[in-house]
Amino acid sequence: MPTRPRLDRAQIDHVAKLAALSLTDQEADALTGDLGSILAYVDELDQVDTSGALPTASMQQGPSAWREDEILPGVPHDEALAQAPRTADGAFAVPAFVDPHGSAK
Amino acid sequence: MIETLGVSALADKVQRGEIKAVEIAELTIARVARHDPSLHAFLATSPDALLAQARAVDDRRAAGKTLGALAGVPVALKDALCTRGMTTTSGSRILEGYVPPYDATVVTRLRAADALLPGKTNMDEFAMGSSTEHSAYGPSLNPWDVERSPGGSSGGSAVAVAARMTAAALGSDTGGSIRQPAAFTGTVGMKPTYGRVSRYGLIAFASSLDQVGPFANDVRGAARVLEVIAGRDPRDATSLDAPVDRYESACDASPRGLRVGVPEEYFGEGLDPEVEQSVRGAIRALEGEGCSVRKVSLPHTRHAIATYYVIAAAEASSNLARFDGVRYGLRVEHGKDLKRMYGDTRDAGFGREVKRRVLLGTFVLSAGYYDAYYLKAEKVRALLRRDFERAFADVDAIVCPTAPSVAFKLGEKMSDPLAMYRSDVFTLPASLAGLPAMSVPSAPGKAGLPIGTQILTPWLKETALFTLGAALERHFKSAAPPEPRWGPRPGRAGDVPST
Repeated sequence: MPTRPRLDRAQIDHVAKLAALSLTDQEADALTGDLGSILAYVDELDQVDTSGALPTASMQQGPSAWREDEILPGVPHDEALAQAPRTADGAFAVPAFVDPHGSAK
Repeated sequence: MIETLGVSALADKVQRGEIKAVEIAELTIARVARHDPSLHAFLATSPDALLAQARAVDDRRAAGKTLGALAGVPVALKDALCTRGMTTTSGSRILEGYVPPYDATVVTRLRAADALLPGKTNMDEFAMGSSTEHSAYGPSLNPWDVERSPGGSSGGSAVAVAARMTAAALGSDTGGSIRQPAAFTGTVGMKPTYGRVSRYGLIAFASSLDQVGPFANDVRGAARVLEVIAGRDPRDATSLDAPVDRYESACDASPRGLRVGVPEEYFGEGLDPEVEQSVRGAIRALEGEGCSVRKVSLPHTRHAIATYYVIAAAEASSNLARFDGVRYGLRVEHGKDLKRMYGDTRDAGFGREVKRRVLLGTFVLSAGYYDAYYLKAEKVRALLRRDFERAFADVDAIVCPTAPSVAFKLGEKMSDPLAMYRSDVFTLPASLAGLPAMSVPSAPGKAGLPIGTQILTPWLKETALFTLGAALERHFKSAAPPEPRWGPRPGRAGDVPST
């Protein structure tokens, strides 16, 4: 089993960045503690002998059923935009994330 | 008294013209207005739409049309189910005021069956919780004792049915979110086989576990609702192309000869003696009905909590990536940085438990930890399934407690996430294995609080669940909570201190 160091604040900051969560300092400290105790509990899985067990992501019974690939009406454009916090020119508006020279910010 | 009728009796009376759907709608509106201020089952109601639906049902009958299987039956909907034209928040601030442009498939099917849809019920945010205390809109209260939680996450749906505001409700069950609140409120709640019911339009929490299912005030009612919502949906690739059985007829079948397994791992440390007594009484009742009872072993049961919290959090962290403030819901936009907009929106929109699980899930999927946590949990999941496969080689059903205790007090477990997670210990294994399971009231505890007995059957064998559930119900007919316990009182549920 790989060694599992205790979770520290730097790791929480890294994971929060991966998860696109801006946490306040106070939140990040509290969550470091929360996750540390949850992971300490989860470590009990180390006791389970899983040799020969295949990782199982789905419990679906039997194969997926196929459907015809047919064109059905979708959500009308205006309805799709109706819930957006900000729209422009019939599209979802967001802060610019591509600079004028074409590279992503 | 209309409010004491079961789903099937109600629909049958509407079909025969003995009760008008409008009368039921008016009664429902009156009961919600009278009782919901003290119980907080609902996040949104739509009396006008309800009356319009009811009038349409009555008009169709007057025109000689055949009515659907749920004609005039009020069915409350967990707020994780998308409803066209009606707010859907999943208990989260990030979706406050969100009005979906489409109905979930189960909602479409309820409408087609002439059901009435009075409103959306409270839940832990994104179904992450076991008490409704993680709702961004305040907890629901248990009608049996308003100091206690109704369970969760589908607690609002359970309360709507327990307090006889609606005859039935839909919930969603990822790790016990239908069965545990059913046990805490003295209602019937069942989680179908994974894939039995479409998840299209259910706001996703953990996609390999989520399943929509019914609450009802009797077993037959749950059966009828399941017959309406079950079955293949081309819009959900995981929905199964398996024939939908006659669940309601199964309620009338004799359980004689069915082999019932009792897993010793569910009766050990941590189980309240009064729950054990109640469940053992239920097992004796089934034996009296002609079932044979034997011990079975599910040795990996104690690893279900850790396995579940890794897998469910991993899937949640991925599913909840869609809440970014771009297309719907909350947006917090300061300045001109897109990534900051994502981060600030999610920080403002998600509650503490959701952040916990998103971070946990992101962590167990991150480079360097994936094998040790996520892959390991997926292997243990295979072992949990194997336990059940072996047990079901010898028995037709497994009977055990739904929850280790009666309803706990509001606030009791909020400071310790692990204590809250442990309250799901008996419902998680069936979820991880994708099995159908039902909670049915058995003898109440000392203080009169409800206790649920859980029945598990092999994949797609829901009929046996209904046969056994109906047999138990004949022995332990559940009453509604006495109204004085939760009748109108000063103050709104929202004023109850949450954390």
